[in-house]
Amino acid sequence: MWRISLRDLQWRQRRFVIAVIATGLVFGMSLLMAGTTYMLYEEGRRIVRSFGADAWLVAADASGPFTATTPVAAAAADETATVAGVDAADPVVIVHSTLHQDPPRDINVIGQPPGSFAVAEPTRGRAVTADGETVADVGLGFALGDTVRVAGRDLRVVGLAEQVTWYFGTPTLFVSLADAQAIAFGGQSLATAVVTAGTPEVAPAGLRMLDEAQVVTDLQRPLKSSTDTVTLLNSLLWMVAAGIIGSLVYLSALERSRDFAVLKATGSTNRGLLGGLVLQAMILSGVSAVVAVLVAAVLTPMMPFAVEIPVSTYVQLGVVVVAVGLVASVAGLRRTVKVEPALAFGGA
Amino acid sequence: MRTLRRQRAATPAAPGLAVASTRRDALEIADLTITYSSGGYAVTPIDRFSLHVDSGQLVLLVGASGCGKTTLLSALASILTPESGTIRLGDTDVTALRGRDLVTYRRHRVGIVFQSFNLVPSLSAAENVQAPLWAAGVPSSRARARAQQLLEQVGLSDRLDHRPGDLSGGQAQRVAIARALAHDPPLVLADEPTAHLDFIQVEGVLRLLRGLAAPGRILVVATHDERLLPLADVVVELTPRAVPASRPRQRRELERGAVLFAQGDPGDLVYLVDEGEIRLVRHRVDGTDEHVANVPPGRYFGELAPLYGLRRSATAIAEGHTVVTGYTVADFRSLERDAVEIDGPPPP
Repeated sequence: MWRISLRDLQWRQRRFVIAVIATGLVFGMSLLMAGTTYMLYEEGRRIVRSFGADAWLVAADASGPFTATTPVAAAAADETATVAGVDAADPVVIVHSTLHQDPPRDINVIGQPPGSFAVAEPTRGRAVTADGETVADVGLGFALGDTVRVAGRDLRVVGLAEQVTWYFGTPTLFVSLADAQAIAFGGQSLATAVVTAGTPEVAPAGLRMLDEAQVVTDLQRPLKSSTDTVTLLNSLLWMVAAGIIGSLVYLSALERSRDFAVLKATGSTNRGLLGGLVLQAMILSGVSAVVAVLVAAVLTPMMPFAVEIPVSTYVQLGVVVVAVGLVASVAGLRRTVKVEPALAFGGA
Repeated sequence: MRTLRRQRAATPAAPGLAVASTRRDALEIADLTITYSSGGYAVTPIDRFSLHVDSGQLVLLVGASGCGKTTLLSALASILTPESGTIRLGDTDVTALRGRDLVTYRRHRVGIVFQSFNLVPSLSAAENVQAPLWAAGVPSSRARARAQQLLEQVGLSDRLDHRPGDLSGGQAQRVAIARALAHDPPLVLADEPTAHLDFIQVEGVLRLLRGLAAPGRILVVATHDERLLPLADVVVELTPRAVPASRPRQRRELERGAVLFAQGDPGDLVYLVDEGEIRLVRHRVDGTDEHVANVPPGRYFGELAPLYGLRRSATAIAEGHTVVTGYTVADFRSLERDAVEIDGPPPP
């Protein structure tokens, strides 16, 4: 029966191609949305990991270093450094700000003491070694030597970093602790967190200790409603894909009623005919998935927000392809089973 | 219904369509009654029909449209289940087949040439012949070889890869015949095999049909085409026989509730109500009766069945003591010509 199904696809190739393109676009959108969701979480993981900290200490009533700007005294880092298990402790300031340009551009600012263990090496140039310098995300479009104005302060770009964004790709400026304190706290010796190399046995009084996973979870918490929405939309897209393929399979079953009657009258079983329909739906779904991968590959570089589609998403697409194929073939199932072989005896 | 046994005319047979096996299965139909629903009404086109056909014989089923030719073919193909009676092909009780046995019968014991060819449009000529073999799990290479052999035998060796749309009517019919022979079945059924062919195409098909009815195979053909009559060993007239024109008029006295004729009976006479009243009712498949009309004195009814060789479409029941006179169609026409004051049947 599989040969008959393949021939039927060839026979209706124009319709098949249209359905494959439509379903491929739908699957492609689904891939891009899944890639977007993945990146929303992944950029948070990356920025937290970039500190290389074993522990994060924040004000006792703060939810986390990236979601709350509850300051602690920068000197708390000195006290933390004395706690057993700690090899090094540095204050950091993590705040949201804007670039002074028209229109203003949202940025994240991370202030660290120059030479801190938690300072990551930039992709190009060098790390911040003095006040008045900055390492900028490449997404901001600056070149080494450019001057950036933030909260009334001019900062010279000495380094460029990649994949240092969070919250929907908002780019980051790395500055000295003093510059960050000037931007956020009017120059007061405050910090939003203390990061440590080595894990403190206890948190100093007034501070709460978080490990890297907890910081990531806290950072991703505000994303949940957005990503839940994207996941829901993704499910709807899969339904649309199943709808497109299901319509095609149903139409095919409708138009082939006489063929099915003839095949039944000549000894084909319902199971064989249904197998053919499932095969058609699977082929449509599978070829659409291939088109989707190509669509995603072409569109990914054009997306304003960096999108990265992980391998797991492709695996998931494979599962969805099978599920969509099976669901879509159900559309023609009833029709096929209901066809009476006596219909074959009808005239033209 | 009438069965005529005759000497088949000598017609040159197509070469190579001889039966491979040495079986000699006879076809035995006993007291076969088939009732089905048509628009909610119970229709019984085949009523207590019996027939014996020996292996190698060609049976023609003739009669007007709706007389039950295709219905009988469907029952022989085990596509329609009769209300009562039996069909035996050799040792097989066709009417008792269910499930796997039914599929095996359709695959191996019966081949069908459908009206309008009913080839699968997406398959080539060779693939159409292979389709029943694929359904039966015959390996691809063997199926292909068998299809080639059969298509060569029907003179289509140069049309193996042509789709039905690229074949003439005669060629398509020959492909349909080859498909029916794919499993070399002992019973071949053909429904109006010459209906869509011009006289040139008919010649080739007639030759093929003649060659099919060889020892080891029975061919049953339903047709309107009188050109097939010389080929037949047995001719079955399924249209009710007309009443002789010379039959005397028939006066009938009926008591309340007496049935003059029943729905599905052969139509023989036109009736005129002399006294009393006749109620016409139609039986539905759900067991209920639908009132059609009441026929008062001076009106006639039941004229269509004898005029057109149909079965009665309603049952006539006496409402009280009723007297009617039955006329042959010829007598009834003379009655009209003589300007006897009679009214037509009341509107339904």
